Amino acid sequence: MKNNINQTTLHPYSRSVSIIGVGCTPFMYTMDNPETEGLTEGELFGYAAYKAMEDAGVTPKDVDFYFHGEASPFNGSNYITPNMQVSEWFGMRGKASIHHSEACCTGYLAIEQAVNAVASGKYNVVLTGCVEFGDAVADPNKPAHIRRKFDDNMFQESLKWIYDRAYTRAMMCGPNLHQDDVCAWYKDEYGLTDDQMDDTLIHMAINSRRSASKNPLALARKTYEELAKEHDFDDVMEYMKSFFNPKMTANLRASGLELKCDGAAAAIVCPTEMAHLFTNKKPIEVLGIGNATREANQAHVELLATREACRQVYELTGVKPEEIDLLMANDFFLSSQLCAAEESGYLPRGEGWKYFIEGRTAYDGDKPINTNGGRCSFGHAHAASGLADVYEAVMQMRGECGERQIKKVPKTSFIRGFGGAQNVAAIILRTKE
Amino acid sequence: MGVKLERIVKTYYDNLAAGKITARKCQDCGAVEWPPLLGCNTCGSTNMEWIEISGHGKMIQMVMPSPITQRPEMEDIRPYCLAVVEIEEGPVVNVMVRGVNRKNKNLVMEKMPGVPVHATIIPRDGYDTVIFDLDEVPEVPKKAK
Repeated sequence: MKNNINQTTLHPYSRSVSIIGVGCTPFMYTMDNPETEGLTEGELFGYAAYKAMEDAGVTPKDVDFYFHGEASPFNGSNYITPNMQVSEWFGMRGKASIHHSEACCTGYLAIEQAVNAVASGKYNVVLTGCVEFGDAVADPNKPAHIRRKFDDNMFQESLKWIYDRAYTRAMMCGPNLHQDDVCAWYKDEYGLTDDQMDDTLIHMAINSRRSASKNPLALARKTYEELAKEHDFDDVMEYMKSFFNPKMTANLRASGLELKCDGAAAAIVCPTEMAHLFTNKKPIEVLGIGNATREANQAHVELLATREACRQVYELTGVKPEEIDLLMANDFFLSSQLCAAEESGYLPRGEGWKYFIEGRTAYDGDKPINTNGGRCSFGHAHAASGLADVYEAVMQMRGECGERQIKKVPKTSFIRGFGGAQNVAAIILRTKE
Repeated sequence: MGVKLERIVKTYYDNLAAGKITARKCQDCGAVEWPPLLGCNTCGSTNMEWIEISGHGKMIQMVMPSPITQRPEMEDIRPYCLAVVEIEEGPVVNVMVRGVNRKNKNLVMEKMPGVPVHATIIPRDGYDTVIFDLDEVPEVPKKAK
């Protein structure tokens, strides 16, 4: 393919770093529930942070530094230094922090930031957290608990903020093509018909919703089979192809688009050799993280940036795709599951679509993907989604996922972050025995 | 040659207003950046010179618009598709291509990849931009009555 993309060679961390604690709020529409209406940034971030600290066996006194991620802090919270505004909510008054913002990739790069900070030797215990109000945005003139709905029109309008103003917005195509680019490329490359792609995406949605139905933190927990019955359809496929699930893009139906919502997630990392000082749980070592970016005016943004990020992390770690037991892929466009699975080598090129149709990527299949339900069922609290995926991978690797636990507890997980027109991260985690 | 502080974006749009579609060609490796940028993404050089591009290209991917990709501000350029186009000078870019509609899309698709297109400058609100047109818009045979 004739598309130049610069390559980067990664070098080993100066010391091994592991995740020792994770925390995550439910992903939710806070304003729609009397029990959650009025929740604020400090409360969501603080809850996830304290849960991660509790899980890690550390207290705020043990934490040296924290990273704060929010995809759109000015819009969602009316803040431009959001780390400052939440820093006192979880016992870390006066401790240093920094905010970062990479749209939907924020939560994946949140792990990258924390690992680098510890690997450098500067800090030993680092908290990294993300919060997003994707459904209930700030009212700039009122206290933080009074919010307003971020409706779809406002959301679509806000999406332009992730696109280049020099050329991309003026040329109009990039911001509108990317929803369909992976599907169009895949169909052209492997000769799939529109119907085959539609079936693939529908099965993806069904598989992911089954996982979410068994996840108490997930936003949408009613299976598509149940929804079909409620609408008097005997056949779930018939329901999924009906006007109840219309095509929203050339390829993606409503079931293939994100459910934007509110939520937060956090993780604690420390040098692997120090993990035993805090917890008896097995540390989850971060073997490496590949990164690539590609602006939306360029062709095949997601595909080529994912390819480069995967190349980097495999080259660094020496891990082979066949060693991956669980794949998490940021799938605010559901087709991302297919792209991430084939570019990471988790599923064979040109054959991956069949695995979805055969149900093999469900939590109880042999090639599990997005066992938390992913962005179209678990929900998408934009910045927080990446750390929610890290939360899921860690819980699966500990065997603590209850009903949706993968039978063979994963030892190695691959997490493909994506977002922001577009950043990509390729993270490999491995249980440290 | 060191980097120069220059108004590349403004120059590009000024050139469009004068009816020219311009790019920047690397004098070290020969790669072309379109739309134009400060440095070369192929070799990293800042030794770039302005060139006028031919405007000819080939469409290598096409996607029809849909409920959420059909924007009110794009009504005036209908009918169109969302496309990946490789221009004659090398760059492969996401662009709008006019001339594809629901009736003739299958005829266009039959000739993919590589359908010839050419660049057109169109006015927007206070600036000009570039979209592409099919070199030949296929006519759909009328159904026999």
